[in-house]
Amino acid sequence: MARSRLTSRRLNSLLLAVCFGLSASAALAQDVVKFGAPLPLTGPLAPEAIKQQQGYDLWAEQANKAGGISVGGKKYRVEIVYADYQSNTPRAVQTTEQMITQNNVNFLFGPFGSGATKAGSSVSEKYKVPTIASTASSAQVYDQGYKYLFGTFTPNDTLTTPLTQIVKAKAPDVKKVAILARNDLFPLAIAQEMEKSAKANGLEVVYFEKYAINTLDHSATLSQIKSLAPQWIFVTGYINDLLLVRKQMADQQIKAGVLSMVAGPAYQEFIDAAGASGENITSAAWWHPAAQYSGKDIFGTTANYVKLFREKYKSDPDYAQASASVSGALFQMAIERAGSLDRDKVRDELAKMNEMTFWGPVKFGPTGQIDSLEPPVLQLQGGKAVVLSPALIKQGEFRLGVN
Amino acid sequence: MLAAQVLINALVLGCLYACIATGFSLVWGVLNVINLIHGSFIVLGAYLAWGLYQSLQISPWYALGIAAPAFFALGYVIQRLILNRVITAPVLVTLTLTFGLDLILNNAMIYYFKADYRKLTLTPPMGSVSLFDVVVPIDRLIATASALALTGVLYLILRRLRVGRAIIAVRLDRDAARLMGVDVNSIYAIAFGLGAALAGCAGVLMALIFPISPLTSTAYLGKAFVVCVLGGLGSVSGALAGGILLALIEGIGSALIGPAHATTLSFALLIVFLIVRPQGLLGRKGFE
Repeated sequence: MARSRLTSRRLNSLLLAVCFGLSASAALAQDVVKFGAPLPLTGPLAPEAIKQQQGYDLWAEQANKAGGISVGGKKYRVEIVYADYQSNTPRAVQTTEQMITQNNVNFLFGPFGSGATKAGSSVSEKYKVPTIASTASSAQVYDQGYKYLFGTFTPNDTLTTPLTQIVKAKAPDVKKVAILARNDLFPLAIAQEMEKSAKANGLEVVYFEKYAINTLDHSATLSQIKSLAPQWIFVTGYINDLLLVRKQMADQQIKAGVLSMVAGPAYQEFIDAAGASGENITSAAWWHPAAQYSGKDIFGTTANYVKLFREKYKSDPDYAQASASVSGALFQMAIERAGSLDRDKVRDELAKMNEMTFWGPVKFGPTGQIDSLEPPVLQLQGGKAVVLSPALIKQGEFRLGVN
Repeated sequence: MLAAQVLINALVLGCLYACIATGFSLVWGVLNVINLIHGSFIVLGAYLAWGLYQSLQISPWYALGIAAPAFFALGYVIQRLILNRVITAPVLVTLTLTFGLDLILNNAMIYYFKADYRKLTLTPPMGSVSLFDVVVPIDRLIATASALALTGVLYLILRRLRVGRAIIAVRLDRDAARLMGVDVNSIYAIAFGLGAALAGCAGVLMALIFPISPLTSTAYLGKAFVVCVLGGLGSVSGALAGGILLALIEGIGSALIGPAHATTLSFALLIVFLIVRPQGLLGRKGFE
């Protein structure tokens, strides 16, 4: 009997504790704005996911350091809910739905890349949750007539067209282009845009081939390209592919007036690993730390963003990390202007956004994809990426010749 | 001239493929273990070469002398302590065990080195030699010669040394070898150690040529697998023949039908070999 009384007393105190806990967490929950970020934290896309996570975390840290997001005079702490979809696109869709229905997130960041973002956006649109995609560039993601999806990457042709125009203006002797693309969604799409840009600017595309993912050797392909003597070689792929191609080009003594690689030179890892062989390689990316914008977002200038990133991660940010950070900063601006966490009001603020940020000018077009940004064209000069265009942030002149 | 260049490229690449595959083939042939940790051993060898060159300026050629005993010891210990416990179990058990070990080693490398790509760049670079417009990079030539030398050393060990004869004996008939007084468990450990040493040395040589990242281990493992099936299991000359055949198919296929389909072509050949000649080019029936 004594034992059961004890048990019931314990039960009572436990219940009391649970009630207190619940009310405390309810009080806390009122002061928190939750952002869902489904990411491929494991599997082949894990390195990309880590970059996005770094970008989101830096923004959340800065926002919370400043007291949080100000909503109608009250400060809300930023909380980012991460979930791993294991580099598996169908799981990204499930994860997005779980975040909305179970984690009760207020707003969403898109998963990695165009494919998963397109798939996940059908769910966020159904629940009318404003979503900012920080790594989706294909126009097909945005032409679905969705109202709640926004993206910080311009379409792929905005990377290749300025590059082609610079080469055409500065190197009129360049007539023949060889294009080699990794047979993968983004690298292939960029190569196809390059082919269109080249043809539109009167250049002859003498070689266009794809190489398989995980290709260990490009010697046969490069021998063939060498025999066609193009003045411009354009290669797309990820860092390992591009390093390998560059090394094998040097091995086979292949010289070209222009060598472009997307998006290797935008990454510090590529610059470090390529060393002297990287000299004069051109590229294009949506953003670069050398850009000098002065924005109205929480980070202010590009230089300040780079400084904060370096302090936290001891390395330079690239466009993937910066895009993630600016996505958070844009949500913050939209929420503060809406003065509310109401999803429709925040969505409307995003839709009419027209503001300068550390990422560049941000204005979303009618489809939700950003249409104000001019992605920088870069060239590696003296071991550093130098911005060749747009004129607003230009740092140097185009140089011809890659040995 | 393009044809001659493609041919030379394929011969050089074939020897590198052979170097990647020899240790894998030895372990598969002798222990009947499909060693899925082989690719990660190669990457670890590459990191060893990179680390020694970056921090102590030790040339990769000397790094070979460090990698061989270090990886032999690592392989010996793994076989003695872990794999020998399940060596008589069906092949699926050892396959799963090496899969698990590979996950641990590969993720440890991702944790420690990150997934970033690194490159071992010799200063000054070694350059290339050219003859009638056919260009061959010197580092690949030296790596090829080293790969041939390593496979030659393995051949001599297996043919001339007492321990080598014991390895062959165990491979042919484990029970008979045991009855003849061979310490089978010790021979297994030595064979696995030799396989690991070859993988480590292959990694050192690959560091000169390919970018280094834990993510490349599956590509190495895939090549080793195809080379073994094409060339025949457990034989040194088979690995060489398989490597050259694979590189030729990839090179010619890439020039004729485009690089995107070269891998498809090599795997199609793999299927044909599995159906028509499962013992490979130089393997003997009943050795699998």
